[in-house]
Amino acid sequence: MAGQSDSHLSLFSPEEVEFMAEDELVEIVPNLRMDSLNFICGDYGPFYPQIATQVPLWLAVALKKRGKCTIRPPQWMSIENLTRVLEGERDSHAFQPLPFHYVEISRLLFDHAREDIPDIYMVRSLIEDIRDVRFHKVETNLEKFTASTVTWKNMSAMEVNIIRAFSGRALQAFYKHENEHMMPDTDRTQDRQPQILNAPKRNLKPR
Amino acid sequence: MANYYDVDDILMDEEFVPVVFHKAVNGVKIDESTDRGYVEQGSKAELPFWLARELHLRQAISMSVPACFNQKTRLEIQADAACVDLRSRCPYFYEFGCKLAPLCDKTIGLLLSYSFKIRYKEVLYKAHTVAFGAATKFLSFLTKEETNLYEAAQSSMAAFKKWRMGGPRLQRASILGRKRKATD
Repeated sequence: MAGQSDSHLSLFSPEEVEFMAEDELVEIVPNLRMDSLNFICGDYGPFYPQIATQVPLWLAVALKKRGKCTIRPPQWMSIENLTRVLEGERDSHAFQPLPFHYVEISRLLFDHAREDIPDIYMVRSLIEDIRDVRFHKVETNLEKFTASTVTWKNMSAMEVNIIRAFSGRALQAFYKHENEHMMPDTDRTQDRQPQILNAPKRNLKPR
Repeated sequence: MANYYDVDDILMDEEFVPVVFHKAVNGVKIDESTDRGYVEQGSKAELPFWLARELHLRQAISMSVPACFNQKTRLEIQADAACVDLRSRCPYFYEFGCKLAPLCDKTIGLLLSYSFKIRYKEVLYKAHTVAFGAATKFLSFLTKEETNLYEAAQSSMAAFKKWRMGGPRLQRASILGRKRKATD
């Protein structure tokens, strides 16, 4: 599967990642009465005023734009939870569990449903902080990797997407070079190895 | 393995390699300044890699290490790989080295992986943090492969930042513009 925006690189643009995130379900409280909607992706509704129901994000945004519902911010978007996650991110080396599309979902909700989110400024700055901390972690992880196994749990879609092109190429190059010097006859490489890596450094005179 | 239509691969084959002829060859002229139409046994010349490889496989010549992999470069890479200007030495440093290693000096492989490991980190730092204009000096040191890496990282980061800033949500499909132009 590849994105449409760039034909030869087979990459996703951030907009395409956002498009995929719009399939995530959110809870809305409609203020209209409407029969159920039957889509290829599933049936949603029927909608009754003040009765909460689950719909995909794109539908929620469309209804919200027309003033037909309020969106209930997801559980993880509460200040308590986000503060806890931020602390966890700062303290530990691993990524804290967050929804796969948390960057995109939060962006869409901030754009379209700002009045439905309590303490929006706090929530927004917490999410920005979490994202920055996590991306810094991604970078430090990238520094360490070589052609060996790479296991990072709980990375989100956008974070993966940002480093996709870079890390793909880098891993290929690592793989190529690792194999390059594994391949030739081992006895010769091994006795030459110290010459390159651990050759005596020049002793500079102290001034 | 090597893609026939890959321009980089073709350009890489043009890199010169110093060679020594083992056999006398008639009917060729390597040095323009002489009138002789043949090459003596034991004479030295620089040939493009594609030719040198074929002759090497036929035992007509032996290759020696080109300037970009010589002892001086090795020492520089050992000292600080990130600051070595590899582009001016050979823009296809890694690819060339990979092809050359089995034919002339197998330690090149080690040199390549060592220098890539160090330079990779530098590319990573610069690509995600430094503003585009500030990194130009650093960019001019990078080989083709490293530049590709750098640009990949830079462009996806830029795309993400653009997305985060917002802007027009709807884009005109490129096909619409094209159609109109054709009818004009």
